[in-house]
Amino acid sequence: MPRTISYSQAINEALTEEMERDERVVLMGEDVGRMGGIFGVTPGIYEKFGADRAIDTPISEMLIVGGAVGMAITGLRPVAELQFADFIFNAADETFSKMSKWRYMHGGQFTVPMVLRLPEGATGGGGAEHSQCPEAALLEHPGSHIVVASNPADAKGLLKAAIRDDNPVAFFEHKGLYAMKGEVPDGDHLVEIGKADIKRQGTDVTIVAWGKMVGLSLKAAEQLQKQGISAEVLDTRGLRPLDTEAIFASIEKTGRLIIAQEAPKSGGGASEIAAIVAEEALDLLEAPIIRVGAMDVPIPQNAMLEALVLPTSADIERAAISMLR
Amino acid sequence: MTDKDTRIAIYRTMYTAQAWELALMRLIDEGLAPPSYHPGRGSEGSEVGATLALRKSDYLLYDHRGMSHIIAKGTPLKALFGDFLGNSFGTTRGLGAGIVHVADPDNGVLGQSGTLGGSQLIAAGAALSSKIRKTDQVTMCFFGDGAANRGTFHEAANAAGAWKLPLIFVIQNNGWAVSTSTEQATGGRYVDRAHGYGFVGEWVDGADAFAVHDVAQRAVDRARRGEGATLIEVKTVRLTGHYAGDPQAYRTTDDKELAATQDPIVLARAKLIELGDLDEEGVTDLELEARAAVDVAAEEAKPGIQPTADRIDQYIYA
Repeated sequence: MPRTISYSQAINEALTEEMERDERVVLMGEDVGRMGGIFGVTPGIYEKFGADRAIDTPISEMLIVGGAVGMAITGLRPVAELQFADFIFNAADETFSKMSKWRYMHGGQFTVPMVLRLPEGATGGGGAEHSQCPEAALLEHPGSHIVVASNPADAKGLLKAAIRDDNPVAFFEHKGLYAMKGEVPDGDHLVEIGKADIKRQGTDVTIVAWGKMVGLSLKAAEQLQKQGISAEVLDTRGLRPLDTEAIFASIEKTGRLIIAQEAPKSGGGASEIAAIVAEEALDLLEAPIIRVGAMDVPIPQNAMLEALVLPTSADIERAAISMLR
Repeated sequence: MTDKDTRIAIYRTMYTAQAWELALMRLIDEGLAPPSYHPGRGSEGSEVGATLALRKSDYLLYDHRGMSHIIAKGTPLKALFGDFLGNSFGTTRGLGAGIVHVADPDNGVLGQSGTLGGSQLIAAGAALSSKIRKTDQVTMCFFGDGAANRGTFHEAANAAGAWKLPLIFVIQNNGWAVSTSTEQATGGRYVDRAHGYGFVGEWVDGADAFAVHDVAQRAVDRARRGEGATLIEVKTVRLTGHYAGDPQAYRTTDDKELAATQDPIVLARAKLIELGDLDEEGVTDLELEARAAVDVAAEEAKPGIQPTADRIDQYIYA
């Protein structure tokens, strides 16, 4: 029997189950222990597993990531949290080089089995430094997976899979989804990393999205249906590994591609996917690709302005209509 | 105080490291190894004296200057030559080519952060890991006076103090961060920083390898007893340039001449004879043995196979 739980409960369950299953799994980060996380995602874990396995760290992002690498190469499987995904830049060298490249640089003598949890996204007033979706920042640093969960079932199944993976996984959780409810299968629910999920079948246009943009894409698809446009929605579940086969298969059917991301339009995952399709599958397209993303401005702190900057389901809808007109 | 066997082991290891470096210079001259090397002459007392206080199961994060600490930790000489030759005998089987990414997990050598200072954080994580796993392993992390000024040091040292980590920071202060002197770049004394983080700081002259060992042994014993971290500031000298071939125009003749009187290998040799641990003949025999072992390792490493294109995408993912 699937249960209906929230995205944050799903993450909490994944952590709890994996920590119960494997004593090498430890949780660490700012305020993740005694407080249960500033977004209330990790309550109960400290009480259940104690201070050694639910570690409240100093405000030291380089230590959180670099220290987790040191733990991962010496027999533990840390799940480290940066309080905001934006802080990936405070720990840039540790994330992009130590976490992602330690194995390669040392000739494969280590595995780095760690997960870096990264609460991302704009939620109304966080400002330019607490609202970003910096998933694509990892793209030019091979060696880690980039996973983004769009719903509670995936949040649980992908996080459990990430913890069991011997590779470092950057695991993005959208803060605006923490309260989202959804059905989550019972039992040891695992979701394969790097496998796309077709959320809605369609024949006229493919909307590729991940994270919070998946929900907005589904909403757009519903509206488009009313106007006689059949949109397929493909959730990539992250950016690396990227299920290009699934993307190509979908556009082979529809001939049209919209890629929706919450990050500013330039330099994001959408640009990368557009480039891949242009290089490898251009002949499948009947119309130019459209990227939908935030405006190329810093996310304003004023929530009214923030709402104007972020991509909406209406933006996706308009993009689809413009393609089919 | 070090005992006779320890003193002889320290001297043998220092001499071996020096011979290893000379042999590497020959390989560089012959064009077999890349010239990007940061010679360790002058820091052997610090690196060997401190590292020999560790067990095989303890962790080492070495620094870029010389190879003495890695040799002291037990990584085979042939494998180290293989790393510089970039061939299949190297610890990375030819993927790395040089000092930066030597790794030898069986001997606790955890590798190195190419961006110096990054290892301080890895070391803090390794020390926290052994604490969580309830082993009595100690982690030792070497870095220079230059990397001691990175923010990474603060984050690692603060954690070491807050969590009483079994971690030993060894700051090798040779007075020079590439071309910038410690006076120009550093406020206060490195050893005094330990107090601010709530752990023990000890200063020792790296010209005396045996004294370094005493200080390091105390630090290791404290860490193993669960009494937390230690910062050891070792005064070392750079008997050569920052890199092989550095003309050192930024350094005065007086500074270089003074440094030459601080050679830890010369001083340790005299001390061994003075204390009666070995006589002149005994020391000479030891040196011949060490050189022979190095020469054999260098020759054995030469025929290793260079990596081919199929290695490029190996080990990116597990």
